[in-house]
Amino acid sequence: MDQEKKKIIQFKNIVKKFDDQIILKGINLDIYENEFVTLLGPSGCGKTTLLRILGGFLEPDKGEVIFDGKDIAKLPPYKRELNTVFQKYALFPNMNVFDNIAFGLKIKKMSKDVIEQKVMKMLKLIGLEGYENKDVTLMSGGQQQRVAIARALVNEPSVLLLDEPLGALDLKLRKEMQYELKRIQQEVGITFIFVTHDQEEALTMSDKIVVMKEGEIQQVGSPQDIYNEPVNKYVAEFVGESNIIPGRMIQDKLVRFDDHNFECVDVGYKENELVDVIIRPEDIDIVPEGQGKLSGTVESVLFKGVHYEVMVETVPGTHVTVNMHVNRDNANVKEEGDVRISANDFYLDIEDMKNWDESDLIARADAQAWSKETDEYFPIQRVDTDLKDEIGEYEVTFHTVNGLSISRRIWVVDQKVVENKKANEAVSAFNFFKTVDEIKESPALDTELKTWANAQGWKLDDESETVDLSVDYNFDPEHIKEGIYKVTFWTTGREFKIHTTDYVEEGKEVGLTFFPEDIHVMEKMGF
Amino acid sequence: MRKFRQLTIPYLIWALVMLLIPMALILMYSFLEPGNSIVHFRISLDNYFRFFTDKDFLVILWRSLLIALKTTIICLLLGYPIAYFISRCNEKLQGILIMAITVPMWINMLVRTYAWIGILSKGGLASWVLSLFGIKDAELLYTETAVLIGMVYNFLPFMILQINTVLSKMDKSLLEASADLGADKFQTFWRVVFPLSLPGVVSGITLVFLPAVSAFFIPKLLGGGQYFLIGNVIENQFITVGEWNFGSSISMIMAIVMMLLMMLVRKLDKKSGREDM
Repeated sequence: MDQEKKKIIQFKNIVKKFDDQIILKGINLDIYENEFVTLLGPSGCGKTTLLRILGGFLEPDKGEVIFDGKDIAKLPPYKRELNTVFQKYALFPNMNVFDNIAFGLKIKKMSKDVIEQKVMKMLKLIGLEGYENKDVTLMSGGQQQRVAIARALVNEPSVLLLDEPLGALDLKLRKEMQYELKRIQQEVGITFIFVTHDQEEALTMSDKIVVMKEGEIQQVGSPQDIYNEPVNKYVAEFVGESNIIPGRMIQDKLVRFDDHNFECVDVGYKENELVDVIIRPEDIDIVPEGQGKLSGTVESVLFKGVHYEVMVETVPGTHVTVNMHVNRDNANVKEEGDVRISANDFYLDIEDMKNWDESDLIARADAQAWSKETDEYFPIQRVDTDLKDEIGEYEVTFHTVNGLSISRRIWVVDQKVVENKKANEAVSAFNFFKTVDEIKESPALDTELKTWANAQGWKLDDESETVDLSVDYNFDPEHIKEGIYKVTFWTTGREFKIHTTDYVEEGKEVGLTFFPEDIHVMEKMGF
Repeated sequence: MRKFRQLTIPYLIWALVMLLIPMALILMYSFLEPGNSIVHFRISLDNYFRFFTDKDFLVILWRSLLIALKTTIICLLLGYPIAYFISRCNEKLQGILIMAITVPMWINMLVRTYAWIGILSKGGLASWVLSLFGIKDAELLYTETAVLIGMVYNFLPFMILQINTVLSKMDKSLLEASADLGADKFQTFWRVVFPLSLPGVVSGITLVFLPAVSAFFIPKLLGGGQYFLIGNVIENQFITVGEWNFGSSISMIMAIVMMLLMMLVRKLDKKSGREDM
């Protein structure tokens, strides 16, 4: 931004907690004169809290709010030279339009003539001349909105705060008010700080956008900066539509994703640094098969009015399906007197047969012994098995101290591995045994299914690099009964979203192309 | 829709029988001469004439209105700050405080008023407290002050509840808007909070003034028969003297006086609801 401009507001390390929940995690932000600044983020990101701190309705737990060179963090709202347009307007229902707008001036004890002159000027600015005697409660949302703006502006604040002021308006009116607000801001020439969760609103009106997430500022920049050069995946996803692909920086101006190297314009990353790559849907062109930088299959075509939204799958996903044997709860339990023992059948990979001990078997079978009365656990004292380093079916018996034992079966198998050369990845998983209760009571079933089936995914060219797996199953965990169920572990294929004005057929093989400058490389987000 | 409307008929009949007919009977009685029977009766204005020509009755009417007015003013002055304080508390505390105010209402009004006799009588709690401040042998029971205390005590909750309802429902962002526009707490109260709470104040006044004007057992118990109000006169006519016709006409006069007063209050409310500067 222009270096000549004066900083009017500085947030310095603002921290705010509500009931031990940290809403703002040390916000630092400078706001200049005559700027239209938008605080953008989803609900709960702290944007409204920050605005309310500036308005004086909340006090920060830590940090300074510098306004015109003075710290105003502890000043009450009525002593601050800024005004707010509230979310639901907050017009005084007992006053007409004139009295609402004149409220601040009457508080300042201005003369009647001056008040009338100023109010009339405001009514003209907001396009509501002749409405001064109207009852505000009988006005439309858009008109109330304008009165609220006039009521704030008439005090000639150097900063106007607007808290999602267009949220309650319908779409058409909202668009109208966007232009109206921008016009008013340019006409009065003061700083507007606007809070919204609507990225389009932010892009349309702002000189500067501040993208926030969970109490932290992600990026500050002009709408063009934010849209074209988002600093991370979060900003890219929040502002506009985008394809976000995990990648690796080979060297300056060369990035690898989708198993190809691409020229780009980004520099300053470490060699082999893992990055996120974003390409905007409108920056990709569809070309005949074989002519593009990437190739894939058209999965879907949606008509969106101005353009088509085309999804092209460049890399298919990988699937592996296993059987889950669900037993009755007491099928794997034995009891004698007060003592109970339980264990599951299980599968073992031939690869794992080289070194195992009793504790491995106890863990894999989930073997447990306990007192029926006191729920106290007893140790498993002895494990007998005929397990051998060969594919086959074996028996294992777990014994407690008091002589109770339970026998289960072990299957030694060659683990099922599905390789997907095109995607450069492999996925493997085991069949497994569980009881009805174990599934019903699982606190995080998707994760536990992966553990139970020992499901893993990795890159073919580098086995140490793991691949994220998703889980699908065809049962209702809350009402599951005994039986055999299919559980599928899969990786997502890679898809590109493309906005184009040319129609393409679904199912067609196509090429995709884009320019090096359309590839935006971003740092991976830390979690 | 028509069927739905038909459902209201039993309620209308109920209302007619239970509300209108007793009123009509009182109205009828008030125009009849004493000693009438079904066989022969004469309509006359004698009862009304008697009331307005007897100075004693007029003095009692005036006294009743005056003490009701005093009760209302005291209830408003005490009730508004209490209601305001409650409305500013957090929700949990609000619930507890509202509860604390309503709890006495669970006990019969008569019993509560009897309790005041104990407090106000010689050697009671009140005179002990006053003696701490150096006021010795204060005569409290069977004075106007005692009646006033009893009335305020009994009717204050109505005032608080009415005002509190309006205040706690008030949009808090209006207060923020007012502060934002430069008004301090005091200015915000007089320019925003108070004007917007007037509907609650009016219904509070109504709910206190009306029962206060026609109260009869509070003055009877705490005034000890020396402090006669219009409610006692009516009671007397019906129960002791047995002049139902005269009692009815006094009731009618009271009804009209109250109606006029309420109309006046509502008119004032409408006027002040809008800020004129």
